[in-house]
Amino acid sequence: MAVKFRDYYEVIGVPRTATAEEIKRAYRKLARKHHPDLKPAAERAAAAERFKEINEANEVLSDPDKRLKYDALGQNWKSGMDFTPPPGSGQAAPGSADWEDVGDVSDFFASLFGRGAGRRGRGGVRVTLPGSDVEAELTVTLDELLRGGKRRLQLPGGHTIEAEIPPGVRDSSVLRLAGQGEAGVNGGPPGDLFLHVRLAPHPRYRVAGDDLELDLELAPWQAVLGDEVMVETLDGPVTLKVPPGTPSGRRLRLRGRGLPRANGERGDLHAIVRVVVPERPTDAERQAYEALKRATPAAGNRPVSD
Amino acid sequence: MDIVMTLHELSTAVGLSPARLARLVRLGLIESSGPEPYAFTAATAVRLRRMLRLRRDLHVNFHGAAIIMDLVERLDGLERELARRGPEPPSTPNLEVTEIWIRTD
Repeated sequence: MAVKFRDYYEVIGVPRTATAEEIKRAYRKLARKHHPDLKPAAERAAAAERFKEINEANEVLSDPDKRLKYDALGQNWKSGMDFTPPPGSGQAAPGSADWEDVGDVSDFFASLFGRGAGRRGRGGVRVTLPGSDVEAELTVTLDELLRGGKRRLQLPGGHTIEAEIPPGVRDSSVLRLAGQGEAGVNGGPPGDLFLHVRLAPHPRYRVAGDDLELDLELAPWQAVLGDEVMVETLDGPVTLKVPPGTPSGRRLRLRGRGLPRANGERGDLHAIVRVVVPERPTDAERQAYEALKRATPAAGNRPVSD
Repeated sequence: MDIVMTLHELSTAVGLSPARLARLVRLGLIESSGPEPYAFTAATAVRLRRMLRLRRDLHVNFHGAAIIMDLVERLDGLERELARRGPEPPSTPNLEVTEIWIRTD
């Protein structure tokens, strides 16, 4: 297995001559900047990767024994070089716990210090620990939400599970699947799986609570005279009656065509009227609008000289 | 819609004793649907786990961690709102408008 060298000094951003105090200060500053729990959802995964690197570097440089061992490798190594550990490396130090650390470390770290040498690996007592909880994102389309049912999903650990999509979930709902997290340590109970639900954006609808909104474009005459228009709902096309004299911005409600609620009811679909103006009217249209102009009493903002 | 957890379930999910959890509720750092019996949402479990990590990694206390979580949740809400609004509608080019000034005196 090819292991790549990691330059821990580079990761922390300190010279090789840095004092313990300097390393601590630099690490704290980086942790404040990259801690995944400080980030909004979209940036969390990337920050988690970076933070893991920073922690690993700190784990080595802040521990005098590990730093000595690391420094003994010499100065000629560069990040990413193929690395073969010196003989005798990789064994967990005597007295360290006899279970594998749950927190994962890089292969480079493991080749030097063993896998059990991470933060939780010290102590020397045989402990029973509940497995770590796992957090994952589940992106659900509006259609899937409506149909409900089961969804297969692949977890970061590799195994696949089936999750039931309850009808009432919304963007940022959290689902808990008890016992679906990582396995426990020494017979401890498994952790839980927390699924953060994301609603996939829909090209036509916007989600507002239980309701959906969609833009309904109307020609001026449809808005004035009223009309029957086709509207696509999640359940298929329906005919919507536009009442005469419908202003732009009016919300026309289609009852029960929104998102499913936990109690089996449905929210509403709001068609929001947008009156659109023909940019290039045909001759016939132009004449019709001219006639409309003559028939309309002077509007308040029109010069009276006309 | 949220999944409801008991005090005991939350206790195993985050690794804090029921007594400590009850104290955090009294301090208003996590929310329960009522004083007792407690009922927590899965979102609370996630929030609490994040607070514990912040405490461990950044050496902030529970109050500081709760403030951070409030701010991050606000940030999350804003980003979701932005995503909900979708891409800006194609902007109509600004039209040159000819103004005619009318003397009113």
